[in-house]
Amino acid sequence: MFKKAKTSVAVCGMLIALTHATSASAERWDGADNLPVSPLACGAGAAMAAAEAKPYDGGVAINAPDKAGEKITLVDVPKLIGIGYFAATTEGMRLAAEELGNVDIKTDGPTEANIDDQITFLDNFITQGVDGLLFAANDPVAIAPVLRTALKKGVHVVGYDANAEPDAREWFVNQAEFNGIAKSMMDSIIAEIGEDGSFAIVTSTFTTPNQARWIAEMQAYAEQCYPKARWLETVEAQEDNILSFNQATTLINKHGEDLKGLLGMTSVATPASAEAVTQAGLCGEVAVVGLATPNAMKPYVKSDCVKSVVLWNPVDLGYAAVHVMRAVVDGKFAPGATEVSAGKLGALQVVNGSEVLLGAPYVFNKDNIDNFDF
Amino acid sequence: MRRVLRLLASQEAVLLLTLITLFVVVGSINPRYIAERNLYSIFLGNAYIAVAAIGMTMVIISGNIDISVGSLIGVLATISGTMAVSGVPIILCWLAPVVFGVLISSITGFLVAYLRIPSIVVTLGMLSILKGGLIAVTGGAWINDLPDGYALAQLKPFGVPMPIYFMVVLTIVAALWMRHTATGRSIYAVGGNAEAARLSGISKRRTIMTVFAVHGAFVGIAAVLFATQLSVIQSTVPPNLELTIITASVVGGVSILGGTGTVIGSTLAAVLLAAIGSSLIFINVSPYWLRAVQGMMILLTVLADLYRRRRQGLVK
Repeated sequence: MFKKAKTSVAVCGMLIALTHATSASAERWDGADNLPVSPLACGAGAAMAAAEAKPYDGGVAINAPDKAGEKITLVDVPKLIGIGYFAATTEGMRLAAEELGNVDIKTDGPTEANIDDQITFLDNFITQGVDGLLFAANDPVAIAPVLRTALKKGVHVVGYDANAEPDAREWFVNQAEFNGIAKSMMDSIIAEIGEDGSFAIVTSTFTTPNQARWIAEMQAYAEQCYPKARWLETVEAQEDNILSFNQATTLINKHGEDLKGLLGMTSVATPASAEAVTQAGLCGEVAVVGLATPNAMKPYVKSDCVKSVVLWNPVDLGYAAVHVMRAVVDGKFAPGATEVSAGKLGALQVVNGSEVLLGAPYVFNKDNIDNFDF
Repeated sequence: MRRVLRLLASQEAVLLLTLITLFVVVGSINPRYIAERNLYSIFLGNAYIAVAAIGMTMVIISGNIDISVGSLIGVLATISGTMAVSGVPIILCWLAPVVFGVLISSITGFLVAYLRIPSIVVTLGMLSILKGGLIAVTGGAWINDLPDGYALAQLKPFGVPMPIYFMVVLTIVAALWMRHTATGRSIYAVGGNAEAARLSGISKRRTIMTVFAVHGAFVGIAAVLFATQLSVIQSTVPPNLELTIITASVVGGVSILGGTGTVIGSTLAAVLLAAIGSSLIFINVSPYWLRAVQGMMILLTVLADLYRRRRQGLVK
């Protein structure tokens, strides 16, 4: 009996200590990192911050044959084949090749996201002889030597989706920058909850680099563009479906009417938040916006519980990669250029020395989500 | 004997008292914490953990452990979901995880009981096999478009979420089974004093085999609740799920050395863990504290267990 009393005293003590810790530090912990931020301009329109002038840091294809305007053969080696995401990039490449008319492209790669297999594929294609290689690296460092070999042999190399070391390829098509995603997220949620709405965030962990970066950029952008919006709190939910659901439900229970919107920072947290809102019967009352893949969000978008899912469009990503490659071969896109023309996507900006920015993130909604399967 | 029972019962009392204290303290800071809606969320939150912890408690009482339980839940949930989307009658989709759970866990049980491989080694192997196999087969693709009527865990008979019924009923049934049947009592005997158990005619092998099979059934039920709580199935194993389940068992008062513990304790502990997790949001404390608090609870419980054992030794 004595021991029992002692243990519960200890546990109560712990709780009281915790409560005190709260009142002592009233500062909200948002899960943002403390690196410099570069919020984009408010409102629609210019989706670019002033590009910093960083010199070209990509590689160069040595003595590449001049095939300007001639038919070229390209090979695309994604991280892996057989999944919806890379099926979508492949589809974009096919569209671009069809449109250009002077590009032959095939996609082949490992069936698992394995860097060793990917290197073998690249090696074989270099030996067979192609005009250009497109890749999405399974490992930025390990893939570099084989790509450098390609450049030495005069094969053009352009990356997309997942980068390699800059000098191992000529250009990299970057699907989204942190400030672009942040702007898209904030604009989408504010469109639903209003400029003075209040919202909370469900993230993976406070130490996950990408999520922390996005949150920091969102804070900076919100301060600048939506100063009246109320940022309630950020909760952590690992990459765990049910925990994310529980955390989102607890936020709903805690804030009640005050909570107008939930932002999901991962492709796990976003559908789980939507599920929490659905099961609480609050669709239409609590908006959910987040980063997620379309497949996971289809049920909620179709039931009108979720209006905007933020990500990039992998079809456009593949499409842009082929256009960049064609422009490089044609000599229209050389080191030092600040933009490149990419067919229906228009002029794409160069950022970070040797990266091509795909543009503003893509917002999936009820009208377009069925066009995607990943 | 009465004294021993009373001492055994005390962990449950401590947990209950802590739970009530938590409700009172956090409820007085923010009354919404103990609003009906949030109480349901708390009891619902870890219901599937509690169900899995029932089986885990039996395994630990028998002197073993199962660290593959999280991966097994992931695999069983995926089996169930895959069957559901391919049009198998829903009742079979709910039963399949239980059947497969018993089968897979029986393999573990066989390796432990008959080939005498330590359970931590067997289940470490199982963990990798199940987790790796799951990712290899599904490619990490989620299961969408689950049929109507599949969402067992979302049903609310009489306004109470279904998983809470499962948690309460299964805990009671398991507690009665363990206390009042020969097989149930033999689990304690095998884990507590294997030699004495042998002398009294209890087959250690058969008991351990039974424990793992029964554990598999509970894991299967937990997997169904896990699979049907949301409208999509993740097809991967949630991080640290096995640790959360083992934590519930240990904090529930099961002796990690085997021989003592109850499933009422593990269920109360699972609810308490959910209540603490929820309270951290209500009182604005970083969720990192949840880990710290869990760790402290494990250590306190083990210390209390050692203390009890020593006292028993002195009483003898």
